Amino acid sequence: MAMDSGLALEVDRVRRCYGAVVAVDNVSLTVRRGEFVTLLGPSGSGKTTTLRLIGGFEEIQSGSIRINGERIDQQPPYNRDTATIFQSGALFPHKTVAENVAYGLRMRKVPKHEIDERVAKVLETVRLRGFEDRYPGQLSGGQKQRVALARSLVVRPAVLLFDEPLSALDLSLRLQLRAEIKRLHDELGFSAIYVTHDQSEAMAMSSRVAVMNRGRIEQIDKPERVFHDPANEFVYNFIGESCCMPLRVTSGITADKQGRAVDIRLGKGLADGDWRVYVRPNRVKIGGSAANSPNTLKAELHFVEFLGDVFRYHLRAGALEIFADHPGRIAKGLGDEVEIGWGSEDMKVFQ
Amino acid sequence: MTLAQTDSSISEATDVPVRASRKPVVPWFLIAPALVIVLVFFGLPTLQMARMSFNLHVDQRLYVPGFTFEHYRTLFTNPLFSKAIWTTVQLALVASFFSVAIGYTFAILAWLKPARWRLLFVGLALCPLLISEIAIIFGWWMFFPKNGLLSQALLSAGLITDKFSLMYTEFAAFVGLVYVTLPYAFFILLSVLDGIDEQILESSADLGAPPLVTFREVLFPLTRTGLLVAFSQSFIWAMGTYATPSALGPDTLWTMGFLIQEQMLGKHNWPLASAFSMLLVIGVAAAMLLTRSLMSKRSAFHV
Repeated sequence: MAMDSGLALEVDRVRRCYGAVVAVDNVSLTVRRGEFVTLLGPSGSGKTTTLRLIGGFEEIQSGSIRINGERIDQQPPYNRDTATIFQSGALFPHKTVAENVAYGLRMRKVPKHEIDERVAKVLETVRLRGFEDRYPGQLSGGQKQRVALARSLVVRPAVLLFDEPLSALDLSLRLQLRAEIKRLHDELGFSAIYVTHDQSEAMAMSSRVAVMNRGRIEQIDKPERVFHDPANEFVYNFIGESCCMPLRVTSGITADKQGRAVDIRLGKGLADGDWRVYVRPNRVKIGGSAANSPNTLKAELHFVEFLGDVFRYHLRAGALEIFADHPGRIAKGLGDEVEIGWGSEDMKVFQ
Repeated sequence: MTLAQTDSSISEATDVPVRASRKPVVPWFLIAPALVIVLVFFGLPTLQMARMSFNLHVDQRLYVPGFTFEHYRTLFTNPLFSKAIWTTVQLALVASFFSVAIGYTFAILAWLKPARWRLLFVGLALCPLLISEIAIIFGWWMFFPKNGLLSQALLSAGLITDKFSLMYTEFAAFVGLVYVTLPYAFFILLSVLDGIDEQILESSADLGAPPLVTFREVLFPLTRTGLLVAFSQSFIWAMGTYATPSALGPDTLWTMGFLIQEQMLGKHNWPLASAFSMLLVIGVAAAMLLTRSLMSKRSAFHV
């Protein structure tokens, strides 16, 4: 037996194609015991396929997958120590809640009295005591996902696989269940891979986030690091809202792509060439204090949207279109010149 | 808004006796056209047949009005007829069993395979429904005999050394019956499978169940009702099908359908033919009622 490395899951250079389409392209990642790793990406980025390769529902074409140090990528799903929480729940409609939850334990030949004990305990954990004899058809969407969660938790797998389990639920339920999964993870310390396209979900729950794009992992790191120190433009763009300013610098003069000069002052000057400057709209200062910022831009107020907690000011400077979120109204009319500013740490520049 | 609500609640309160009497009328009104067709074209002839089965049969005349239980007694006492009942039931049971088994296999394949495969299976299953039973029988006549397609194909494949004929055997009759009932079994089972979320097969495997256990624990329980319906539907068709077993089976294969036809057209004994037909109708109705009563218990979890 190999020495225990503390790793629940090791995915090493795994690849999967469908015809000419490369769904998963040399993906490597590890999950330490007790770690909650999220695969975050737009649809078609290969995150669900990666999860299905780990669960054994798709076959890898190269690379290897190890669970607790043991290679399992050639094993069928029923021989892998994983348990998946599917988007639809995928509960057995002809079995009661208790029978659904007991299923995995029965398959593992756990003695009857122990099954009863563990089922009762896990239903307590997901707050579904009293629902033992209901059928899935008699449950709400949120309750179904709790049963799915209990059914997977109860077998204590080496890795729990979450396949966008909350995406079919409405917002308030999603937030509630999200907090509950987080609580369960803190309480039980299971190892998990969680697939989602919702960046706030990823940020809120994960020990680490892997941002995926076109079958590859672009960056894998702690949520704060991914947010504040994105590895590349894709990651920056995908995590949170941003405004993009495409700029061209020729002999020290900053202009938009069409060559019209823009009244922009940047703390750190840009060398000659084409640049894309990004800034988060909620970090942009507008009005009085803006002029003191290290980076400023004079732009024309185009229109204003009311978003509830903030106003969103849409501005134009030459061909640049940016927007800034500000809680109050500003004393400017449409078409007036406005000065905006932002801190250097809130800006990302890509060439 | 509030006004309108009070208004409607008042009118509802006053309307209660009217509504109570109106309520059951509407559904009856809606099914009336179908009901009329069923009663006129199926109900009346069946009643007439029931009446006919009690008429007398004397002097080679088609029938003489009267009332007797004699024909029913004949059905159960004359070994010729009681044997035919048994033969028909047996043949229908075996044919239905195979029809459901084959139909189940192909329905599962069509359900699990990608769309183009599904189209192929559905297309193939539709074929027999588009061709008349007689045309299909002619087809079998070219398939089963000594110089037929089957014999020639096996010979040229080197699997047999002598030509052989399966024509006019019970096996041919059985194959013919399965062919008639297969599309019904297939489509019933496919529609049942389409109502199942395919992902539960994955979730079963994921929780540690090998394919056979998944079948026993998940797929079979969820399709049990469908299997029952498909079986009873096949059974009803196989019981009533007259031309196929008579044309493909041996001369000694006397099914109920064949004997009814013979009594009616050959022996000109209309009352006896009617009594035999009534027995068939009652048998089929009993099979349907039995299926329904089993179904309601099985599908309780759909609530």
